[in-house]
Amino acid sequence: MVYWILLQKSFMRNMQYKVAHLINNAASAIFGFVFIAIWVGVLQGKENESPYSALDMTFYIAAVQCILWLSGFLTAGLNIQNGVRNGAISLELARPTNFFLYVTSQEAGRLLYNLFFRSLPIGLAFSLTVGFYVPQYIPTYFFLCISILFAMIISINLHYLVGLSACWTTEINWAHFVNFTLLVGLGGQLVPIDLLPAPLSTITPYLPFAGAIYYPVMIFLEKVSSEVILIQLIWVVVLTSFNLWLTEKARHKLEIQGG
Amino acid sequence: MNLYLKLLSGSLRSRMQYKMNFLVSSLSYGLIMAVDFVLLAAILQRFDDVKGWNLYEVGLLYGISSVAITLYRVFCVEVHNFERYMVEGEFDSLLIRPVSPLSLLLTKNLDLSRIGGTIQGVLILVISIIGLKLNNVELFLLLIYLPVTIFSGVLICFSLGLITATIAFWTQRIKDFQTFTLYAPFNAANYPMNIYPGWLKIIFFTIIPVGFMNYTPILFLLKKGGDLWNLALPPVVAILFLFIALKFWKFGIRHYHSTGS
Repeated sequence: MVYWILLQKSFMRNMQYKVAHLINNAASAIFGFVFIAIWVGVLQGKENESPYSALDMTFYIAAVQCILWLSGFLTAGLNIQNGVRNGAISLELARPTNFFLYVTSQEAGRLLYNLFFRSLPIGLAFSLTVGFYVPQYIPTYFFLCISILFAMIISINLHYLVGLSACWTTEINWAHFVNFTLLVGLGGQLVPIDLLPAPLSTITPYLPFAGAIYYPVMIFLEKVSSEVILIQLIWVVVLTSFNLWLTEKARHKLEIQGG
Repeated sequence: MNLYLKLLSGSLRSRMQYKMNFLVSSLSYGLIMAVDFVLLAAILQRFDDVKGWNLYEVGLLYGISSVAITLYRVFCVEVHNFERYMVEGEFDSLLIRPVSPLSLLLTKNLDLSRIGGTIQGVLILVISIIGLKLNNVELFLLLIYLPVTIFSGVLICFSLGLITATIAFWTQRIKDFQTFTLYAPFNAANYPMNIYPGWLKIIFFTIIPVGFMNYTPILFLLKKGGDLWNLALPPVVAILFLFIALKFWKFGIRHYHSTGS
């Protein structure tokens, strides 16, 4: 199938930058060590005031640094904006393939590469230094796989939305900044969202950003019920449907302009 | 200097042609950094301090580090994006001009969208200084010293940026190195160095000396340790590091081989 081939090609293309990515992995691990140091410093002597111990937070941050490469650090706008700028979008939208699947399968290939050459090495680095949580119950592994898959789909959709907005705005830098900030800020990169001050802590669990980072990490740490996957599923369906609808709108807009 | 100002004003004028884009980019960039700090504030409000440093004290470190790196991003955008010159073979065109390549790079462009981050850093500094409730003498000393520490921070950041750019003469691509040499260390410098394990502290006080930029002087200014020498360290380290970076840059240029294309 053409989308599977696109995914594979994208995976192979990324393979060419393995060494550079390994250096970046070290930096990513340092970010993790910095955040862990903050939490250990904050919680020292105050663990009874917190729902999380220093060790919990060490595992939390380590897991977040791994998942970020699957659902946090995606290509800005999935590069759709470049096609809009140079006009190639008219050709891409006119292809017999589904544009949404065409773009997202390529990003999926990159994320699959990230799984093997970013997330796993970073996880290994944490395992050898500060330790890494190992889920105790077998079903956790099953729910974790689904949750990570949903997290990737949610994030790909959010980035696709930003990219496709270029059809109306041409400039997406600011939209990407805002999307990324909300993703890491409300997704729980530094602070687990249940520790955020109210009313943020009441709203954020129902936003898509939590589904992209917080829920897979909490399922991995076995600190939430697997039912949270339903919240992720709702966002998967809502965002995918919306993006498919918006893609049609974009195609019509191009036809009006004459391509 | 005259030439520098002329080139700079030209760059400024070209950027201001897109005012709306500039405003939105600045706001969103400022927003990113603000959210980062708000999250930290959320932690410290709940748990009071991080190894003896309260929110306003950390805010001081955070503000200095933020202002330093964003000023670097405003004024040294071409040094930061130097990879492009290697990948697209544009460096040759800089070598044939009558001005040094580094001067050209520093005057070629300004990334004004990063100003939002600088303003946000200054705001954090103002809020932190008010929150610290210092007496008149302490406040006076801090205000007098702030420009020194910020300028030293910009120099350290520029030196790190230039060293990373020089690596491009051999590797072509440097984006991945930048995460290691700039983003991660400056993120670390947002917080007090005493929270880090020994090996990280060694890195931040030697090969990537961001610890000297804000932690060392603020330690003394907030009476958390050290002596008057702490205030001399940032400019001394910055100048020394700048000297090393410039030497390395010249070494890199001597070893540059054009692709001839």
